[in-house]
Amino acid sequence: MILRTPPPKKQRSETRDPGSLLVASSDLPLVIYEDPPSAAPPPQPSSGEHLLCTYQCRQMVKSDFFDALSCAEKQVDDYQSRSKALEENFSKVEAERKQILDRFLDSEQELAAAKGREQALQEQLLKEVKLRNEMNLRLKADASKASAEEKASIFERKLSNLSESIEKEKKRLHNEIELLERDSKLSVSRKSADLERMECRAINAEEESGLLKEQLEDLKKQLTECMHQKSEVEKKLSSFTFQEASSTDSNILVKHLQEELRNYESEVREARKLRSSRENIELLKEKLSEEKGRRERAEGELSKLHEFQMSMKKLEDELSSWKLMIKEIPGVSCSEDIPVKFAALQKEVIDCMMKEGDANARLKQMEVALDAVQSGKHIAETEAAFAKEKAEESKSEVKRIEVMLSMITEERDKLRDLVNEFKRLKNDEAGDETVSGTLIQELESSLAKKESCIKGLESSLHEQKKVNTRQSEEIKLLNERLNNEARRIKSLERESDRLRSEISLLESKLGHGDYSSANTKVLRMVNTLAVDNEAKQTIEALQNELQKTKEKLQAVEELRSQSGNAGKLVDSYISGKVVQLKEQIATLEKREERYKTVFADRISVFRRACCELFGYKIVMDEHQRANGIPVTRFTLQSIYAQGDDEKLEFEYESGNTIILANDYTSQPEISHQVDIFIRKLNSIPAFTANLTVESFNRRTLS
Amino acid sequence: MASRTVAKDIITLRGSAAIVSEFFGYAANSILYNRGVYPEESFAKVKKYGLPMLLTQDEGVKSFIASLTAQLSEWLESGKLQRIVLVIMSKATNEVLERWNFSIETDGEVVEKGVSREKSDKEIMREIQAIMRQIASSITYLPCLDEPCVFDVLAYTDKDVAIPFTWIESDPKLIANPQMVKLHSFDTKIHKVDTLVSYKNDEWDEQ
Repeated sequence: MILRTPPPKKQRSETRDPGSLLVASSDLPLVIYEDPPSAAPPPQPSSGEHLLCTYQCRQMVKSDFFDALSCAEKQVDDYQSRSKALEENFSKVEAERKQILDRFLDSEQELAAAKGREQALQEQLLKEVKLRNEMNLRLKADASKASAEEKASIFERKLSNLSESIEKEKKRLHNEIELLERDSKLSVSRKSADLERMECRAINAEEESGLLKEQLEDLKKQLTECMHQKSEVEKKLSSFTFQEASSTDSNILVKHLQEELRNYESEVREARKLRSSRENIELLKEKLSEEKGRRERAEGELSKLHEFQMSMKKLEDELSSWKLMIKEIPGVSCSEDIPVKFAALQKEVIDCMMKEGDANARLKQMEVALDAVQSGKHIAETEAAFAKEKAEESKSEVKRIEVMLSMITEERDKLRDLVNEFKRLKNDEAGDETVSGTLIQELESSLAKKESCIKGLESSLHEQKKVNTRQSEEIKLLNERLNNEARRIKSLERESDRLRSEISLLESKLGHGDYSSANTKVLRMVNTLAVDNEAKQTIEALQNELQKTKEKLQAVEELRSQSGNAGKLVDSYISGKVVQLKEQIATLEKREERYKTVFADRISVFRRACCELFGYKIVMDEHQRANGIPVTRFTLQSIYAQGDDEKLEFEYESGNTIILANDYTSQPEISHQVDIFIRKLNSIPAFTANLTVESFNRRTLS
Repeated sequence: MASRTVAKDIITLRGSAAIVSEFFGYAANSILYNRGVYPEESFAKVKKYGLPMLLTQDEGVKSFIASLTAQLSEWLESGKLQRIVLVIMSKATNEVLERWNFSIETDGEVVEKGVSREKSDKEIMREIQAIMRQIASSITYLPCLDEPCVFDVLAYTDKDVAIPFTWIESDPKLIANPQMVKLHSFDTKIHKVDTLVSYKNDEWDEQ
């Protein structure tokens, strides 16, 4: 639209344009063309001269006028077309202006939305700052937890080393104790062997002494008899000497008897000497053995001394190392503080784990916030792109409008020039140009309007430019913030991956079986199957020990009763052990009795049940074969047996059961069944079942 | 079993505890059979969870598992049981070879307020069935137990639980650097049971 200020309208009464002359009709008197009144007044012609005009001049003027008119009309048409075009342009510009206004409103709305997003982003930034602080706190907590865990692991390693060393020492001490026990057992066994030897020797000596005593008594008897005989003979001799001369035979007898007496006395003396020498020898032997035993003991104890000294040195070194380790551990002054310290460390670990749990919860919240931020970021990015596009579109439109404006201003200027020229032409020409003047005025008014519209558009353009610059600056700021947020999001994603790996590690630890001793305890049943088996094994072992200790006790008691000297020789250590063993024996005997009664009850129930279920009374015996191998023998008697002779005998050895031949099985019927069921079919249960059925049938039939 | 109304599958705390303890009894039997802890001939077949299940006929093991499940049921009703672990150990060396871990999450609201939940019995049975199938198929990837083994059961309870007369505190009997396989889980809406088996790395696998 081209605005033109129409020239002021000239009143017809005041002035007459040359063009108005054209409209004059032929009735009016012809007036010669004159210059306009502004021009120098022409010299007044004579009254007759102005009426004078040649036809040609009129025609020429007419033609000129018509030419000018046609030109003016053409110009008017042009102006009209241009005005139409301008109006069209104006309408277009108005439409564009409306569009721009709409877009301006949209951009304002977008601005408001962007401001709202900016506020939201600022809030998110604040949240992120808070999250950062929390992450820093969590990192600090993680670092402290890691340090505490390291310390705890170090302490645990030290404790494990300590416990291992303690266990090694315990094992060593146990081994030493076992060695000592074995040695003591060996010494006890040696002493018992020595005692037995002594006993045997004492028995032999007693027997010998008994024999010697008997010999002595015989000799004494012989002596007394001899003495009697001698006395009788002497009496007889004395009686004989009175009567007559003594016979040489009696003297010889007496001499013989005396010699025999002397011999017997010498023999008795030798026997006594022998006996005393033997006693001395035995005493010496005993002393020898005692000395040997003492020497062996002393040598053993010497060697043990060396070992004990070495072990003592090692223990002292280890104790000093433990003490040093205890000193290194902060907050621990003695070994009793270690469990307390360990418990404190465990508590710290538990607290760290609690904090870790809280951190995990916060992590999850952060992840949620991350997701929200990412979504907001996406939305902001899309909106920023959209706003960019709109800004570019508005910029392009602004450019277009500017170009249009420049074109329109050029046209306007051209039109103005044309109008001015036309005005000049109009002023020069006379004639009737009212229609074109009104049109021109209208055009000028429209031009003026359009100029005002153009000015308004220019102002709006300026404003929009300013708005666009502001929007572009805001878009730049948003892009920068977006980039920063993207970086933050990446760092948060990395941290979330790390935390997820830690969570998976913790879950694996949970799956492994780890637990928090503050909240959880682990229980198991006492009466497990293994314990029963272990109890049985311990019972058997205790029974064996009982028997051995009983035998030893009996031997020791016999020795003590026989020889007081032997009792003096037993060490106080052995006597103390004997007392302990006696107490153990008493408890074991009580236990054995209890087990026996229980076992007897159960076994009787079992036997009765077996008898009722399978129809056979089973008796179990232990036998020894000729080669000395012990074998279990089972004797089965059917409840339907008609006699005591109907017994089956089986031998059981290491999983194999063999039927033994006896009178009952050698019967033809039974042997036939043995052949079929046991030898051919290898099934003892089938044989016994068949036998049971047959004996049942026999019984019921009989 | 779970207490039910005539036409609805309402699960109470007692019913859920019975379901879980019964499941553990059958699962323990299945593990003992499939891992060969006891000889095959000492097991008898019964029908349960829509599957043929094997139950031991050894009186000692039977009574042990029965008393165990009774105690577990009691702890489940009080909401004090956190985990049950069936441990398989070498008889000779007492080394732990396998740990069958059953983790239990209890709905605290049900324990405190005594409310009940709703869940289809069929769905619970289906979930348990899946676990039993996985236990049976575990022999394909678990290492062979060539030596005689024994088993034991550990219960992870809350710290304030009173220890019964026939129970004692124990160590957790862990395996160093185990391999772990997570199995399916089942949920009665009151107790959620997760199953996991961890086993000692086989020397052949390490090579």
